[in-house]
Amino acid sequence: MRHVINILSIIILLLGLSLLITFSGRYIIPGANIRDLAVFYLYTTFNPWLEKLTVNSPEAVTAIVWDYRGLDTLFETAVFYLALIAGLALARGSIFRAIISHGGHGLSLIVKTVTKITSPMIITVGAAIALHGHLTPGGGFQGGATTAVVPMILIVVFSIIFLLERGVSKENMLVLRSIGLIGIGITAIALYLFGIVVGSRAFVFQNMAKPLSNIAFPAHIRGILISGTLWFFNLFEFVAVAAGFTLAFMILIMAEERGETNE
Amino acid sequence: MNEWINTYLLTIFVISIMFNIAISIYGIFLRPNYIKKIIALTIFSDSANVFAIYIGYRRWVDNINPRPPVLTTPSPEALSYFTQVAVDPLPQALVLTAIVIGLAVTLFLVFLGYQLYRNYKTLDMREIRRLRG
Repeated sequence: MRHVINILSIIILLLGLSLLITFSGRYIIPGANIRDLAVFYLYTTFNPWLEKLTVNSPEAVTAIVWDYRGLDTLFETAVFYLALIAGLALARGSIFRAIISHGGHGLSLIVKTVTKITSPMIITVGAAIALHGHLTPGGGFQGGATTAVVPMILIVVFSIIFLLERGVSKENMLVLRSIGLIGIGITAIALYLFGIVVGSRAFVFQNMAKPLSNIAFPAHIRGILISGTLWFFNLFEFVAVAAGFTLAFMILIMAEERGETNE
Repeated sequence: MNEWINTYLLTIFVISIMFNIAISIYGIFLRPNYIKKIIALTIFSDSANVFAIYIGYRRWVDNINPRPPVLTTPSPEALSYFTQVAVDPLPQALVLTAIVIGLAVTLFLVFLGYQLYRNYKTLDMREIRRLRG
């Protein structure tokens, strides 16, 4: 009886939500006056004829994520980092370093060989997604998440010991993750510090020249478009996310292993 | 006819998102297993994200196919056409942020679940509720 009431209440909630959207559709789905905001973003995202306002990135989403709303993304990265730290704190005391290797771990030879061939390819694709983030759909987070598949596959196919023997340890991943986060921070204030040195006005999280500030990151390096800070942000975010995910997988797998061998 | 098919497909899309949300709410509130609650929570947040992108996607471009917000040829004519046909990039950027934060929360919940299992030797929320203190 209780089950029926539960399901009924969910159905009523669903129907009510649909009814609300039906009646107030013109309020929930934004009207044409909001399009102006989108037009502004689309018009200034790559506009060499509008030097003081453009981001010089053909991909509008990356431009918003790392330039227009860059501070937002910095805190988002910090939240992800804090979640990892919280996970480490919760799983503390359950991590040990496996040193013994008998060579007999993992799945069959066929799976191992295929994994050896595909792993570099996956890393390449992930790096391409991250480093072309300012040109094509993608970015540091997507590329990092793609790359983090590789350690997961390696843990399943070989074993956690395979990774530990090759230096992919919990401590190293934490260091790599911190390097990524510090890199993002330094890129964010780089132009501000440069402005202090040169004696010109510049802002934190500034990328291209603004109406009040004349100095800018280079949009091109040797004729190749890098969109100023966006390329560096994507690179460091790639490192940070890939290392962070690897760390999370490793903690979970290691913790499980300890549970089996405990007592 | 073409317009009718488009409307029909979009209606199916919206209804399936609503159905997804209903299933995930059922999972969050009524499944006793902690892992299934987490899975339902991720389904819920993904459905909400897809819905946000849908709202940003449609509507603006009448009679022209909406394009992704990526400029391919840099010229003033291409730019003005681009501002007309490209979809709103802001919901996509916000959803990207939401996905990352959701992932961080999921990660934390998984570790919390691990800790629950270590302390209580079960992931059944009914049992855990019974074990006070």
